[in-house]
Amino acid sequence: MLSVYRLPNKIQDEKIIKILRRDVFILIKKMCLFALLIVLPLIFFYLAFSSQPSLFNGTISYPLIILGTSSYYLFIWVFFFFSFIDYYLDIWVITNERIIDVQQKGFFARTISEQRLYRIQDVTSEVQGFFPTILKYGEVYIQTAGAQQRFLFHEVPHPHEVRNTLIKLAERSKNKNKIKI
Amino acid sequence: MTFSLYVFLFLYFAFLVPWSVFGLIAIYHMFKFGFKNFTTFFTTFIYIGVSVIMLFGSYYYISQIDWSMNVTLLRGLFNIDFQL
Repeated sequence: MLSVYRLPNKIQDEKIIKILRRDVFILIKKMCLFALLIVLPLIFFYLAFSSQPSLFNGTISYPLIILGTSSYYLFIWVFFFFSFIDYYLDIWVITNERIIDVQQKGFFARTISEQRLYRIQDVTSEVQGFFPTILKYGEVYIQTAGAQQRFLFHEVPHPHEVRNTLIKLAERSKNKNKIKI
Repeated sequence: MTFSLYVFLFLYFAFLVPWSVFGLIAIYHMFKFGFKNFTTFFTTFIYIGVSVIMLFGSYYYISQIDWSMNVTLLRGLFNIDFQL
């Protein structure tokens, strides 16, 4: 289990500056889809009951409706929980020494990559589209000199502020490590 | 074709096996990779709680059905008399 007090490969005097996740609107979108998936069968049952009331008394149809409804709701519940996990476990940690990118990809794939701040060459923030502009979330691209040349903070809140923070921290880190900008 | 309603119930139980496995994998992910904080414990608790409520709700309705009843489908479909 991760802890803010136990970062992977913690460096001496390392402090967490920011922990980022995708914007909460992304989670709300998932919740809206989930709510729609809950309501749809209710509408279907209402329409079916209005036109065919005997459907709910049939020898086969009634057990099938019970089992089908139970299976459906159990499935979408686990589907929603996985969807939440996908949101919740994708994090970007900015410390005063490095950036850590933790990505959960599906059930059995997880990638953790990190990059020292002094290796950052260029940071770009991008807000594109109606909802991202209104709700102020977007992408932050980080160009580094490392093996993984580009880091992406995907759909994070306030990307311009994140970019400014990263640039300041990178400059500080370069000065500390005496690297020419 | 005559068969018992139990067939549907066994199919439902067969569905519950992978569903439980996926649920356990999800909980494992939360505790293995999640932050040690209130949100992790609370959301996992909510997931388990709602799952238990749904399973009990299903059990309530399922227990009221007589699953030993036989069902006949497609009666007379293959009883065609051919007269030459």
